[in-house]
Amino acid sequence: MSEQEWELPSPRPAHLVEAVLLVSASPLSFSDLGSATDLTESELESALACLRERYAPEASGIVLRDVAGGYLLSTNPACSGAVERFRSEARPAPLSGAAHEVLACALYLGPLTRAAVSRVRGVNSDAVVRSLIERGLLVEVGTDREAPGSPALLGVTDEFLAATGASSPDDFPTLDSLVTQEELSRVRERLASSTTAPPEADGEPS
Amino acid sequence: MTLEPIGRSLSDFTVELDVYSGPYEWLLALILKDELEIFEVPLRELVESYLLARRPDAANGLERDTDFAGSAAALVLLKSRTLSPAVDADTEGIEDEPLSPEELAERLTEYLKARRAAEHLRNRFATNAGHYASGHTIAPRPGSLSIEPERLSLAARQAFSRVLEPPVRHLGPITVTLQELAGIIRTALAGGPISYERLTSDMDLMNRAVAFAAALSLAQEGSLRLAQTEPLGPLILEPSG
Repeated sequence: MSEQEWELPSPRPAHLVEAVLLVSASPLSFSDLGSATDLTESELESALACLRERYAPEASGIVLRDVAGGYLLSTNPACSGAVERFRSEARPAPLSGAAHEVLACALYLGPLTRAAVSRVRGVNSDAVVRSLIERGLLVEVGTDREAPGSPALLGVTDEFLAATGASSPDDFPTLDSLVTQEELSRVRERLASSTTAPPEADGEPS
Repeated sequence: MTLEPIGRSLSDFTVELDVYSGPYEWLLALILKDELEIFEVPLRELVESYLLARRPDAANGLERDTDFAGSAAALVLLKSRTLSPAVDADTEGIEDEPLSPEELAERLTEYLKARRAAEHLRNRFATNAGHYASGHTIAPRPGSLSIEPERLSLAARQAFSRVLEPPVRHLGPITVTLQELAGIIRTALAGGPISYERLTSDMDLMNRAVAFAAALSLAQEGSLRLAQTEPLGPLILEPSG
């Protein structure tokens, strides 16, 4: 039997982008995709629009995510059970409340030092920071040269953005919008009442 | 009645926490080996788990309660120490000076915001959990590789050449064989046990070394026994049988 020769059709822009995204484990920026596929900006935009439709959560087991300043093909969370069974691994344990607080400090108040994180939380946070760095959610982004000893400054990572479904740190609501004025007023009222409360009587008049 | 081994009364107690699921004893071991952060362990849930699994009517119920109370108290102490500011905290750390009401209000406000932001993040993490990216990983990009033939040749010569034997001139000429010394040892043992020091008192350094090798060889074939009652003590050669 003679070997049949197949003539490959020239790939369309969406095919090129799809292929490059498939082999990337981390988000690819618009420019990275452009240089890899050699597509023009408009071709790339139309290709991504096509892929967004093809990989919509309701249409496919794979979804196209716009996270951490790039594009990433991931499995649909609706299929995560099957993926976890196939890979014989459980979903990572959820982060503790302390870990969320440290990440919130780094996201909203960062880059900041370990001591600054501890100051905001009121407790030593070094162990939490260490754990988050090991998990790749926190990273040392520089040093505070004005502070004694030039301590390291902490910031969130692209993995953090991907894990929270954020395209950039600007993708989160502002800190002030997360707390209502009523809550803040209650805190101040409680504080005022506790600091102005008269001391308890000793029982015997002096 | 069967008694639990001492200190193992909690061996059948298992815990189900978000961060760990398994025997309680292993949880303690993981914490002590720093493979699980104590701050991640919700101690209140741990205590509640024990209260649910508590068996007051068991033969060792009191011992179980005592062991758990002791270990749980140690965990509380460990966790509180982990969360406490370090004693030698730098100046940017948590100050000991009392805060003014305004500063305290500002701190509490800041913490309240961080707390709410943490709750928001928890929801974001939960909503976005279950996304798994491509299993493909990009192979490391090879760096610029330049090989100098001379260096490659030198490396090959070093890799395949025989290791130089250490010089032995300082040991002097070998004037006795292992068999001769074995004969000397056998003759000496005819009069009963003898210490290695006494056997080799008239020998030079080389002969002493060969005598030791001969004694080991004879002991291995069962012709004599070597006895040393204490480390670095006198070595006694005894006739076998």
